Amino acid sequence: MDMLALLKLELEKLFRAKSFYLSFVVLSAFVALMLWGFYTYAARKTGGQAVEQFKYTYESKQYFNGLTFALYSVLFSFTLLLPIFVSMSAGSQIASEARSGTLRMICTRPISRASLILSKFLVSAFHAGLLLTFFIVLNLVVGLIFVGWGNLELYPGPLNLVDAPGKIMRDEALMRFAYAVLSGTWALLVIVSLALLCSVVFDSPAQAVVMTIAVYLALYIVGRVEFFEQLRPYFFTTDMDFWRDVFKPNIPWQSLWHYACVCGAYTIGLLLTTLIIFERKDIVT
Amino acid sequence: MWVKLVLLLLFCLMIVGAIHFAEPRESEERSPSVEVISLRLLTWNIGYAELEDDTRAHDKDLPAVAELILRVDPDAVALQELTGNAQLNMLLGLLKGRYRGAVAQQGKGDRFEAVLVKDAGAKFIPVPVGARYALGASFQSRGDTHEVLLLSAHTDAFNAAQRRMYTESLIDWAQARTQSSEVFIAGDFNFELKAANETNLYTDNVKHDSESYSHILRYFRDLGRSAGDTAINDRRIDYIFGPARLKQIGRVEVLRDAAVGRMDHWPLLVEVGL
Repeated sequence: MDMLALLKLELEKLFRAKSFYLSFVVLSAFVALMLWGFYTYAARKTGGQAVEQFKYTYESKQYFNGLTFALYSVLFSFTLLLPIFVSMSAGSQIASEARSGTLRMICTRPISRASLILSKFLVSAFHAGLLLTFFIVLNLVVGLIFVGWGNLELYPGPLNLVDAPGKIMRDEALMRFAYAVLSGTWALLVIVSLALLCSVVFDSPAQAVVMTIAVYLALYIVGRVEFFEQLRPYFFTTDMDFWRDVFKPNIPWQSLWHYACVCGAYTIGLLLTTLIIFERKDIVT
Repeated sequence: MWVKLVLLLLFCLMIVGAIHFAEPRESEERSPSVEVISLRLLTWNIGYAELEDDTRAHDKDLPAVAELILRVDPDAVALQELTGNAQLNMLLGLLKGRYRGAVAQQGKGDRFEAVLVKDAGAKFIPVPVGARYALGASFQSRGDTHEVLLLSAHTDAFNAAQRRMYTESLIDWAQARTQSSEVFIAGDFNFELKAANETNLYTDNVKHDSESYSHILRYFRDLGRSAGDTAINDRRIDYIFGPARLKQIGRVEVLRDAAVGRMDHWPLLVEVGL
């Protein structure tokens, strides 16, 4: 069986899974929630009774537009929401086959274990990319319809994106969202690889998903505690943050490529480890 | 086997890429030196960290403060958290008469901003900002080429909204004088602009500080940005803001070996060509 046929089979399994559709439903609900919060905040802060507390920056009328809405929504959700769905998808790839007893049967077929792992990885990566693309496009469309478009204004402090006020013109900002699909998907591949490794190590999909999320959250939280400042550069969660750099007025390309390579090393290193473990694994279920 | 080899090759490629694109070390990216320095400014909050009984400047540290000023030889110095006139006079004495100085009027607080200037003809101007006072000093740059106005400021350490109101008043006052002088604003602004330190990314405190800082940058340039943190706990809270159009910016440095006793700030030094 060639790789393409294997990929087709895995894609069919993905599209048949309820969790696949659940992830899109939850992300849509999150966009609706964000819209409600953003819309009411904007109305309250710039309307007739507005106090105009932050009159130069966050409460000027041109600040509230669809692009700002999409930026906030994507940045807020990327850290915690998307990794959960990506872990669910990738973490159940091998473990669920083992749990349902189909893994042994698949391995008796004339396919290499390496091809099986690669096809599972590619399908999970496709899911991660599709989720992020869907989420960004949905945010932009909702932002355009309900909030209206303008330029993307950025200020130091909130979102931790810039250290001086900056502005990205509308068309350029749309291009930056397209870049974010690529950089964000690349960052999420680290989670995909980790979840796939857990999926091979643990025979229960729930265990694999929980372990992936636990490792991710533990590193994310520990990385935010000042006591562990010296350890922060060694956590993959710190390196994954590079994807946001595409929203800086001047993209720091050198730093972006550096962290993209670091994330790539994590992804491929974990994938290689997964492959080595899986090839030596005695499949008894 | 070939899959593993390809993955191994890709892994090595990523490592090589990461090393290749790594940022140059700090020592490799030093700012160019200014050929003609018109002005050398220093700002330093010489008070102590929050945990001490008296967080204002301590008399026993003044010789070290004076020693640093004499060594660095700035044209003007903005100091914060002095206890009052007596401490200023003690410091001026230690500076062997090379500087003139004044402290700000007493506002709501128990500590004073001060400015020291080398120019014997310097004039000191009180700057009312809400319930507090900053202090300005008007003097001539080296070679008597430009009229310079340096403000020494210190915003509230605990309330971001107060910091914003103080900053707005200060900038209004300073902005009105940019036509007649080259205006520099130096001091401890206490801005917390690292949102990662907050429990979420959109708190009112972060927005207040962001608005304050953005408001200053509408009219002035942050000259010390490249020098990094100026206080313990990785905080960059001491600033020197200057005119947006400067001929040249030279040495910009946080002097991290200068703090004595339990000081929690380091002096920030900036050299510019006007």
